Amino acid sequence: MLEAGGAVLAWLGASLIVLADGRRGLALGLLGVGLGLAAVLWPTSPALEAGALAVGGAVAAAKRLRNGTPGWVLMPPGSTPRLVLCIAAALLALWLGAVVTSGSGASLRIAVLAVIGMTGVRVIGDRQPDVVLSGVAGLALAAAAASSLASGQVEPAMAFGGALLAATTSFVRWREPQRA
Amino acid sequence: MPDLTPGGVLLAAAVASLVLAVAIAPASVARRDLVWRGGVALVAMAVMAVADSLDIVILVLLAVGVAQTALSGPRDFAVRLRAPVVAAGLLALALVFGRVQGPELLSRFSAVGLVGGLAAGVGVLPYIHALDKDGASEPDAIWIGFIGPVLASAVLLRARAFLPPDAGADFGAMLIGLGVLNLLWGTLGAWWTAHDSVAWHYSFMADWGLALCGFGLFVADGQTAALLVLFALVLGRFPLLLIARAPLAEAGRVDRPLNLLVAAMLAGSAPFAGFAARILLLRGAAETYLPLAVVLAVGLLLWLPPSLRLGRSLSRPRGRQAVALALLLALNAAVGLYPLPILSAAGS
Repeated sequence: MLEAGGAVLAWLGASLIVLADGRRGLALGLLGVGLGLAAVLWPTSPALEAGALAVGGAVAAAKRLRNGTPGWVLMPPGSTPRLVLCIAAALLALWLGAVVTSGSGASLRIAVLAVIGMTGVRVIGDRQPDVVLSGVAGLALAAAAASSLASGQVEPAMAFGGALLAATTSFVRWREPQRA
Repeated sequence: MPDLTPGGVLLAAAVASLVLAVAIAPASVARRDLVWRGGVALVAMAVMAVADSLDIVILVLLAVGVAQTALSGPRDFAVRLRAPVVAAGLLALALVFGRVQGPELLSRFSAVGLVGGLAAGVGVLPYIHALDKDGASEPDAIWIGFIGPVLASAVLLRARAFLPPDAGADFGAMLIGLGVLNLLWGTLGAWWTAHDSVAWHYSFMADWGLALCGFGLFVADGQTAALLVLFALVLGRFPLLLIARAPLAEAGRVDRPLNLLVAAMLAGSAPFAGFAARILLLRGAAETYLPLAVVLAVGLLLWLPPSLRLGRSLSRPRGRQAVALALLLALNAAVGLYPLPILSAAGS
């Protein structure tokens, strides 16, 4: 039950990253992805490693709350394709993770596929640095969680590395090219 | 003598290449920026070379992508970050599909993800990074000419252990197909483009075409050839690009013996490292599938005129640049004459 709830929470978090342009929406999305993936991993992985992902997502969210476009800016005009992406990604991940593939850990497969796909598309489709970096943070957390598909447990190096990378992306300062 | 690994060889070449690049950087390139960019890349490449799993390589790729993008570049931040993120996303999906239980088709999707991710990370077809006509292509060249080779060796060597035999054959076929495509596209592009800086970018693609074919052959000669090509790319073509950037602005073209020697090195003539690579590649291709060797031979012949053009675009290097150029020629000739350390690394 916890795993299924975690997968739904991770998908909701990734959906917020896709649908929001404001820092509140992005921060809540990052928190959702971190907590959701940690919940999915909790029954099978050591608490420290699973918790690291939650902490990574929370730190990234806390920092994201302090920079970026103010407010929620949830589903601004022209967001229909993004909404379609969220629904289609959920259905596709559900089909691949629960129907096409077999074995234990369906929640993990669904969560990881949904988050990787949605955050990847978000990064490709947007030009705002804070949005793109939030997508990268989500992708790092999902890639870390995906390592548990190999042995059943998330690798410590991946859990801490993914959490660190996710948290660090919110602190990144960028330079845009100077135009004449 | 410690055992050399492909990643270790390429990393050593990258260190030497960075030292040369900093020493010869033209006035238009900020040395401090180059040291930062190169230093960050070297740390990431070292971790990729020693990483015990592909998962760590993906995280490092994301991290170095963000770090490189955060430094200045000719395009918007979000646009610069796209390629490494696409690469990391595709590689992560490849790992997921490769690890789950299910139909055999999933492992083939995994192979597609690995090849696509590698192409996006390096910046070759079908995901070419933007080509700059004004010569400001160094931030992109760092992927195709500096980080890319270590990334490729890290991904491809681990992928062999990761993929089941059937998908491994498909993986090799995709690498060869992509390699031939890049070889021909890069060669013809470098020949036909009006801009020298774009011709340099295409020349990297053509070399990557050879390397991908070598990796895809799955025979010892092919692997060795790929490693030699990548070595010549890191410690040959990449520093030469920096030397070429200074005279590009002057648009001077010279046919001195030095320029012809550089052209010979770029074309893979004897006694340079590229010659051994091309011979091994043709032998491996002939052993695997003779028509492939014929296609590669045609591609190599087509590569001669663009090499002459690139050699002439170096104009008249002076001072430190001339010394660096002589050093590059000597190093490439030394590896071409005595490739045993690299051959043993490829065998490992």
